[in-house]
Amino acid sequence: MLNLFRTEWLKIKNYPGFWWVMGITLLSYPGINGLFYFIYKENTGNEKQAAKMIKMLIGNPFEFPEVFRTVAFTSSLFVFIPAILVIMLITNEYTYKTNRQNVIDGWSRNQFLIAKFLNVVIISGLVVTLSLAITLVIGFVNTTTTNAQSWSLFKYTGLFALQVFSQLSFAFLLGLVIRRAFIALGVFIFYKIILENIAAGILGKYAKDIGRFLPTEVSDRLTPVPAFLGKLDGDSYAKTLSLLNQHVLLSIGYLILFWGLVFFIYKKRDL
Amino acid sequence: MSILTITDLKKNYGKIQALKGVSFNIPKGSIFGILGPNGSGKTTLLSIILDVLNADGGNYSWFGKPVASDLRKNIGSLLETPNFYHYLSATRNLKITHSISGRGDMAGIDLVLQKVNLFERRKSRFSSFSLGMKQRLAIAAALLGDPEILVLDEPTNGLDPVGIAEIRALIMELSRKGHTIIMASHLLDEVEKVCTHVAILKTGTLVTSGTVEDVLADIDVVELGTANDLAMLHQLLLQFPGYKEVESDGNKILISFPKATANLSNINQYCFEKGFVLNHLVVKKKRLEEKFFELTNN
Repeated sequence: MLNLFRTEWLKIKNYPGFWWVMGITLLSYPGINGLFYFIYKENTGNEKQAAKMIKMLIGNPFEFPEVFRTVAFTSSLFVFIPAILVIMLITNEYTYKTNRQNVIDGWSRNQFLIAKFLNVVIISGLVVTLSLAITLVIGFVNTTTTNAQSWSLFKYTGLFALQVFSQLSFAFLLGLVIRRAFIALGVFIFYKIILENIAAGILGKYAKDIGRFLPTEVSDRLTPVPAFLGKLDGDSYAKTLSLLNQHVLLSIGYLILFWGLVFFIYKKRDL
Repeated sequence: MSILTITDLKKNYGKIQALKGVSFNIPKGSIFGILGPNGSGKTTLLSIILDVLNADGGNYSWFGKPVASDLRKNIGSLLETPNFYHYLSATRNLKITHSISGRGDMAGIDLVLQKVNLFERRKSRFSSFSLGMKQRLAIAAALLGDPEILVLDEPTNGLDPVGIAEIRALIMELSRKGHTIIMASHLLDEVEKVCTHVAILKTGTLVTSGTVEDVLADIDVVELGTANDLAMLHQLLLQFPGYKEVESDGNKILISFPKATANLSNINQYCFEKGFVLNHLVVKKKRLEEKFFELTNN
């Protein structure tokens, strides 16, 4: 396992493209969370009547414990950025035909995939760690006193981790099946951002919400909107929260399916 | 002892049968040439034994053991094209080869780069290399750690004449050290110069295999010349015992015999006793190219 990790490190440590996209990823998460935070501050951080009204209505989504849910939600909107990284790492191997060279040199096909699996785990870990750091910074800045209750919504960081890993695994599967970077990336973004949202919306309205079972919608439901937005439709929000455990199981099921397909396809396919 | 045993190997691409049940053994220490026209299945065969392609039937075994990825770590391979990370230097690419295969070390990397004349460019990115340099890097990767077996698919592709001669010398040197080299090539002259054994494929079927000598010499052809009447000599030789065929090309007469039965002394004596003095008498060796065209009907 250590050898697989070491070899993957040799591949990426001098790869400028990887570090560029990684840099964009690392900047985008603080950026988007900071943006929401400053919008909130700008609209509530003065003594005007309107500002007080807004603050009274929505509370402070950036103080503990709500900040866990808020940051998990805003961060979840940008999972497609690390997905670029994941798609790049697998499609590059096809572009350079190094996936077959790795096997020729002595890796089994499973070892090649385990090495890539490690990449997805590490990228997911980095994104989640970054998101947690943002959560803690914003939380401590906005919370005067902390207690045990402050951590009551910490589970949303864990749910975000599952969401990231599941969706990056889906991106990896697409990259492996499609093999070409730009096509895989286009398909992922079109499916994730456009097609599935439309399908989930239509199915949600006309087919008893079966759209929630779609491959990435399942894990999208792990990071619901912050509580103040949930107030717009209290019943629906309560239902969303009550289905969280079910979506955890479904997401794990999809994860097993994604990686099962990855290993099955790669075993059967000519390299 | 066989290094590689291939038994009834089959591979289909849709309706096309790329390999139709190919079987042969590769002896330890041999330089084994795999020949065949384009589309004959050479690269498909090598890809299967390196686990890059899945066979549709049959099997193969390295060192008499069941197929396992670890066995490939002892095999230096160059398959089709040089496959490296374009953004990495020659040295860094070879570090990856070392990390996966366990073959060689840092000193070994420098050594193989020197061997293929790439040491000066070791820090240059692979993407900046010419075709010949890329090929030389692939040969360096195959040589890393001095593996017991080398599988080289068209190793001289893209090399200049000096490079080709260097690779030929390298192959001979490795063979002398006891390495086994499996080599697919279009360059029949190259194969004839270096190989001890050959297998010839045609549209996925094994046409023949064995030592180069055996494959080439399926019949003995003796070439005769005389200052006397050639047509009369032709007639005379039609009564010589044991021949298979007599033909004349205008200047010389070719008489063929079953393999290893031609006896020059007997022919010379026979002609002399019949009043013909020969001024030319040799066993004509068939060239691999000639044999290849004959077997593949090209």
